[in-house]
Amino acid sequence: MLTGDIAITGIGSVSVFGPLEGLIRERECSPRELEWTKPRVRKARIVPPFRPAAVVPGLKTRRLDRLSVWSLVSASLALRDARIDWEREDRSRCAVAIGSGLGCIETTEAFFRTVAASGYGMADPILFPDSLDNAPASHVARTLSLTGPNIAFSCRGVSGEAALMESASLLRSGEADMAVAMAGDTLTPALYEWLEAAGSLSQECFPESAEPRAGFTPGEGLAALVLEPVERATSRGAALYATFVRGASCGDPQATASSWPRDGRALARAMRRALGDVAPSAVRWIISSANGAPALDHLEADAIREVFDDQPEPRLLAPKFMLGEFDGNAVLRLALALSGSTVSGLGMMLGASAGGGCAALLLNAP
Amino acid sequence: MKAARGVAVTGIGVVSPFGKGVAPMRIGLLECRSCLEPVRAFPDDFDFAPTLARVHEPLEVGRRPGFRLSRTDKLALVAARDAASECGALEETGIAVATTVGGLSEVQPLIATHPREYYRAKGFSTVSSYPRGHVADAIASDLGLSGPRLGLNVACASGAVAIALAARMILNGTAPVMLAGGADAICPFTLGGFHSLQALDPEPCRPFDKNRKGLNLGEGAAILALEDLERARLRGARIWAVLRGWGMTNDAFHLTAPHETGAGVAACIRRALEMAGASPGDIGYVNAHGTGTDANDVSEAKAYTAAFAARSRPVPVSSTKSYIGHSLGAAGAVEAVITMLSLESGTLFPTLRLTDPVESTGVDWLRGETRPQPMRLAMSVSAGFGGSNAALVLEREG
Repeated sequence: MLTGDIAITGIGSVSVFGPLEGLIRERECSPRELEWTKPRVRKARIVPPFRPAAVVPGLKTRRLDRLSVWSLVSASLALRDARIDWEREDRSRCAVAIGSGLGCIETTEAFFRTVAASGYGMADPILFPDSLDNAPASHVARTLSLTGPNIAFSCRGVSGEAALMESASLLRSGEADMAVAMAGDTLTPALYEWLEAAGSLSQECFPESAEPRAGFTPGEGLAALVLEPVERATSRGAALYATFVRGASCGDPQATASSWPRDGRALARAMRRALGDVAPSAVRWIISSANGAPALDHLEADAIREVFDDQPEPRLLAPKFMLGEFDGNAVLRLALALSGSTVSGLGMMLGASAGGGCAALLLNAP
Repeated sequence: MKAARGVAVTGIGVVSPFGKGVAPMRIGLLECRSCLEPVRAFPDDFDFAPTLARVHEPLEVGRRPGFRLSRTDKLALVAARDAASECGALEETGIAVATTVGGLSEVQPLIATHPREYYRAKGFSTVSSYPRGHVADAIASDLGLSGPRLGLNVACASGAVAIALAARMILNGTAPVMLAGGADAICPFTLGGFHSLQALDPEPCRPFDKNRKGLNLGEGAAILALEDLERARLRGARIWAVLRGWGMTNDAFHLTAPHETGAGVAACIRRALEMAGASPGDIGYVNAHGTGTDANDVSEAKAYTAAFAARSRPVPVSSTKSYIGHSLGAAGAVEAVITMLSLESGTLFPTLRLTDPVESTGVDWLRGETRPQPMRLAMSVSAGFGGSNAALVLEREG
């Protein structure tokens, strides 16, 4: 269990709404048709193409895959939003963390394509190092000269929660003064086909089919938050989007590699740990992990019922129905939820993953 | 930075080219035995026989319902079971395990060119072990653990970073016991990748030698059981060593090349010493990253010269990748185990095949034979692609 409040002072994102600095005010989005599945018509909530240098002038992103590009854009926007005065900052005290369930799969697939064409003996040396999960965080560090701890978390559907909690922990332990906490994932042809083959997709993905399907709509995107201790943030006059109070993670050992926790008990345990001595009745809002897949939605409902029992139910926000489902979604979910006018006071963000991982974060919005 | 109050290592599970367990590793190190050999590992994929260090013992872990276990998963499971068994892991034990390869070894290139056909032919569950977080899930399922789970990938610094993060989770009360470390199997993807970068030595590697030609890939896993030092002492647990401090930095320089001056590694060492409340002169041995590549070894040597400049005597340094190759995400954890064995036995393990060391000042390059050297503190240093560095300061208990 983590204690000691951490402030969120900057937000940058790349999502279905495009690249944005600060709160996500856009509210209109619908799934887009995928080019790569044609002539089959399939849809997903994908990021519209944009020119990175038009968003962050001078940004060099040639040869990088989209996860790295989005990391650079989002981190730059978040730091600009936080109004960081680099003249007064010690860049060696700034950490960078990213959470991603699948990392740089675009580059991994590109590497495999060169192998398929020419064999492993003639694989592309440019692609290989960029296929590593920590490449996006590394590009952020290199571009912004941030020499503090630099970590990539791969915790499947709770990767973003891990990046947030561990970034906060780095700040609380004094290993860093400021952190850029990011999370995201990209949707690729191989991943989409895998989800379709596994029968995971929602009816929304099949616009030409009337067959009812219970599942989720895949998405993609990435968001970055600037985190710093509350005292530090207030002393430099930074605006606070919210404070991170506490987080907890745990797992259900009975879950399988491709199934969510079998019930809500593991998530409820994480929620209670995150609450600590805070009464459930103090929680006003919950950022849900629900995505339309019955197993996930039911287990989360069970966990909420178990923890809140006969308490008044908090307001429930379900951002995945706008953003789509992808493993590293937590930071973007949080950014979108904080952008709404209904979030104030104490709230929780929930996460549950295939494989059994669960996480709960306690937050306080002004 | 707050000084750590001490995290005890109360269990070790290790699978290395020396064999399964600590005992064969200890014997292999004392015998200065190289496990590197030319292997036609993937004859369909390569027209050469790379020099590798493989784990030859069968990895019989049984079936895990609901999980398709990759070779990396199996290496990790063997190590995790040993570590958990030794420390008596509780249900609420947490996991922090790193891998760079994960289930990539189970995936074929056709997945990228014809994904629909691939799933039709192989089944969609064949890629279920691909996410790097799968290793932590598989261990939790196997051992019935419900505590916190972290999967991570910080390239070749991964194993050390996993240990550092898990130690912090012990200190801040997140979990009473953490299983932490790394695992990686040799696979065509990484072999092809390092081959494309011309980073492989076709012969057994020679870290820190002027005539070095590159690295040799290895494979393995090391999982440590960590718990609060006072708790471990109270319950009378066997304490292999005490983790006193760690440092984590990034070079912010280049995706594959370390900073030319070694500044990032030097800063990392200083942070680890500061957290441990130790001075450079307190360190009796450094287990170096020492890959054998041109850029790494020169940069690392400069880092040691800078970070240990305040010492009155040169700092003893060796690279044990000359015995067991470079196991990538596992290396930082495997080398932490070797560092503990050095502390335990009071023995400095030399770099094999080191005849003409790189130019440096203030570094005692260990070579030739083992050297008896009782000591209290030792350090394990790791670095990786992406510029990440990690250093662990370990103390002999008792």
